[in-house]
Amino acid sequence: MMFAKAQNKELETFAQILSQSVIALFQERGQASFSQPPKLEQKNIYEYEGRMRVDGMEKFNNEATYISAVNYYLNAADMAKHKAIGVVVVYVPQDYLAKMMKTLQYPLFDDDNDDALRDSCGTLCNIIAGRFKSDMKAAGYQELEMSPFINFRNSSFSGVEFCGSEFQKYDLNFFLENNQKKMVIELSIGIVPKR
Amino acid sequence: MGELSKKKILVVDDSDLERELLIEVLKGSGIANDFLQAKSGEEAIQILGTRYKEIGMILLDWQMPQMSGMEFMEAVVKVPQVAKMPIVMVTASGTDENKKKAKTVNPELAGYIVKPYTPEALVQVLKNYLK
Repeated sequence: MMFAKAQNKELETFAQILSQSVIALFQERGQASFSQPPKLEQKNIYEYEGRMRVDGMEKFNNEATYISAVNYYLNAADMAKHKAIGVVVVYVPQDYLAKMMKTLQYPLFDDDNDDALRDSCGTLCNIIAGRFKSDMKAAGYQELEMSPFINFRNSSFSGVEFCGSEFQKYDLNFFLENNQKKMVIELSIGIVPKR
Repeated sequence: MGELSKKKILVVDDSDLERELLIEVLKGSGIANDFLQAKSGEEAIQILGTRYKEIGMILLDWQMPQMSGMEFMEAVVKVPQVAKMPIVMVTASGTDENKKKAKTVNPELAGYIVKPYTPEALVQVLKNYLK
């Protein structure tokens, strides 16, 4: 017997908010503009054992990719129980990550060092997730709790927490330097109550 | 507060890059204090436990694995030797409700700065304590 899932009907709205959050963040932080508007694509979630698959090869062909994720929760109790309402996953190709962080005025780091690359992708994900959280609240939604970032290279065998009632997500593709795709942000989020 | 200028600043953040940025910004803005670094709440507790007399201020991230910045602060305010130590939260989580929560846990909270911050905003908060 199949049960209908309570899919978030505002997913596209939330993806638009996230898109605007990222554009504003890059403009304010680095006075950086994307070379074309972000491309938003609604896609199915690939789930494995209750977690959402995370795979850099799906975003960037044949390029090593750094990936970081931050989860959202409706409250601290849900956070303690790992009952996520959403997740933001940031993907950046290895060969562009240092340049992107420099654009955002972060200090130079050793871009041959895996730990430093993971950390910088996590740092980027953290500020994007924080800005999105603030912008969601400004748009009238309930304040969300935010997890620390977690990092991967190329893929995560065990995936990431997500809201189990959701079966679709958004991919936000960002273009820099002559319209080359340089960052993808995945957003999966369930129903967030209005305040 | 003048004696704080001779003490060390403890920077607590799970991001190496954020810690580096913070120290770089402060040094570049003429803050001459030495810095100690911790990449987790637990590590910060250990440092504070042994070196609290050297430390004049804590710059604290919120979202960290295991012990969060808020949990760290809850622990600190219960210890009389360090309860009054100025703590500035430096976090990506920048809503008014978060600020209220932080103030509830630590009514003496010295500041609340949202990442990404401007150097001016950061220095302004610290200079009130370090001048």
